[in-house]
Amino acid sequence: MSPPSRRPPGERVFAALMLLLSAFLLWQAFGISGLQSSTSAGAFPMAAAATMLVCAMVIAVQAAGARDDGSAAEHGARPGGLPHEAQRTVPPVVPATVGAVAAYMLALEPLGFLPSSLVFLVGMTRLLGERRLRRNLLVSVLALGVIHLVFTTVFAVALPGGALWQGLGRGTGG
Amino acid sequence: MTEALQHFLISWTSPTLIALAAAGTFAGIYIGAIPGLSVTMAVSILISFTFKWEVNEALVLMAGIYLGGVYGGARSAILLNIPGAPAAVATALDGYPLAQRGEAGAALGLTTVMSVIGGFVGILALALAAPVVAEFALRFSPRDYLMLAIWGILLVGSLSGGSLAKGIFGGALGVLVASVGLDPLTAEPRLTFGSVQLTAGISYIAAMIGLFGVAEILMQLHRLDRAAVRQQVDRIIPPWPLVRRHLPLSLRTSAIGVGVGALPGAGGDIAALIAYDHARRSVKSPSRPFGQGAYEGVIAPETANNAAVGGAYVPMMTLGIPGDAVTAVIIGAMSIHGLKPGPMLMIETPHLFWFTVGSLALANVFLLVFGLSGIRVFTRVVQTPKPILLPLILVLSVVGAYAIHHRVTDVYWMLGFGVLGYVLRRHGYPVAPIILGMILGPLMDRSYRQAMLSAQEDPLIFASEFLTSPLSALILAALVFTVLRQTGWYRRLLARRRGRSASG
Repeated sequence: MSPPSRRPPGERVFAALMLLLSAFLLWQAFGISGLQSSTSAGAFPMAAAATMLVCAMVIAVQAAGARDDGSAAEHGARPGGLPHEAQRTVPPVVPATVGAVAAYMLALEPLGFLPSSLVFLVGMTRLLGERRLRRNLLVSVLALGVIHLVFTTVFAVALPGGALWQGLGRGTGG
Repeated sequence: MTEALQHFLISWTSPTLIALAAAGTFAGIYIGAIPGLSVTMAVSILISFTFKWEVNEALVLMAGIYLGGVYGGARSAILLNIPGAPAAVATALDGYPLAQRGEAGAALGLTTVMSVIGGFVGILALALAAPVVAEFALRFSPRDYLMLAIWGILLVGSLSGGSLAKGIFGGALGVLVASVGLDPLTAEPRLTFGSVQLTAGISYIAAMIGLFGVAEILMQLHRLDRAAVRQQVDRIIPPWPLVRRHLPLSLRTSAIGVGVGALPGAGGDIAALIAYDHARRSVKSPSRPFGQGAYEGVIAPETANNAAVGGAYVPMMTLGIPGDAVTAVIIGAMSIHGLKPGPMLMIETPHLFWFTVGSLALANVFLLVFGLSGIRVFTRVVQTPKPILLPLILVLSVVGAYAIHHRVTDVYWMLGFGVLGYVLRRHGYPVAPIILGMILGPLMDRSYRQAMLSAQEDPLIFASEFLTSPLSALILAALVFTVLRQTGWYRRLLARRRGRSASG
């Protein structure tokens, strides 16, 4: 954890964004009930938003002066800190995964739990680099079966059955 | 006394109750360990299963799930770096580095034995000191609760990341997220942006699955090519000298766990963090530096959070105030059975109290059995290739978020918080304070307003009360000390003192 690489790319921009977010939230919290009373519904949210704003300012100042300030290096050397996780770029697999989960979520209710989860599992496993399709299918089907059984019997969770199929069934039946 | 013993032994002598304690503990370990499945959720769902049962059977099952679940969170914290439950956040700090060294087996074995020791200390405290602790906890005023909650968030903020400012930022963000929806006192909409759906608030379980589950998976996508560390699980039962060497620490942290657990609202999560902090400060020569796989860093939070279970039962049984979220749900379960936990419960139905103590002790014995025997199977999970494991965790996270209210909206929140957690973590913001802020936010808001109202809304009286009440002044001092310890000023003072003692 050397001081120059401590600052991940875009740290200053991110600190500025957080500053804007805090200011926006403070304005919103002020809008709840204004300054009418110290025990109003908005009082505590305003205090929290103000705390965020102060912290965001401190973070922004630290980010602006991180490179030349010796204390930043001392700070980074604290034991118990997180491992250095920031990397130069976001690998394309990250937005692809977020997109896949979003699509899965959208398909969950119309398609139902089992079909949408199967497509998601097989697709994601392939996206992450598993090339053996047969093994992929077998593991996905087995795992889904276990998950479905446990959730529906032990936890009595009503998983989405699929509005589309129900609609089709009604269409052909009626 | 013999009567108490009789009631204590009810669950130990009935085959049905023994089986239920075993099943509950076993299920609890896996529920606690699987990210996205929370003990709170499992116990709440179980209420609908068990309300036709005998009250004893329901209580035994819940005691088992509670104890097992608090322990189970450590498994995924150590093996996957995903705390299965908030109480295991501190465990991941040293537990995961241990797994990365291939020592997951040793870490889990030691964790199990220490958890059981902590659990027994908690149960003993519940049995012996319940009236004393309850009397002490009665003296807490709303402003003390407020400060305790702030202290908890500060501790998480300063422990789990580098920058205290980033930790406090996260905690305050969590408090704001928790305030979304209708104000519980005045029913005014807060931060709903005119949306009807937002008036119901944001589910903190969905946020937790997002921040800890999805964000962690997105971070792991950076290291897809890295092979899973082969874990050494030949020897799971820890050697006796190792246990004996850490016994003094584990007894100290168990005591912390009992104390914090008995505080209403503060449960195993805060107990674990305070215990971790205590270990970091009090252990002069840890087995390895803290944060890099110190055994002490795993022992302290795990003894404390299991001891906190016994502690959390104290205010629940004696005052009717839940010690944490799970005991809150258990109070709900007891009232369905026509029982009203509170001071009268101890007087009118002492057999129920002793039965509960007995069931917890029985569940703790099963914890030792299942904890030491299931690790080999469990460790296989880690050796599953990531292209198979990560999509499965994603499916579990989605189902877990959906299961809370059977709403797809919660799944959207989960993904949103997942992306937020990923972005924040990449910029060095710890995510644990956000969750703590969300859980403690309502308590803080309520306590603040009660304290302010009792001070006739006069800020001067409000402020002066923090100094005039001895208990409040004590907590305030602890709070200020926590902040000061993070500043350069304190470090310089420490260095100067060290220099003086070296030269003198």
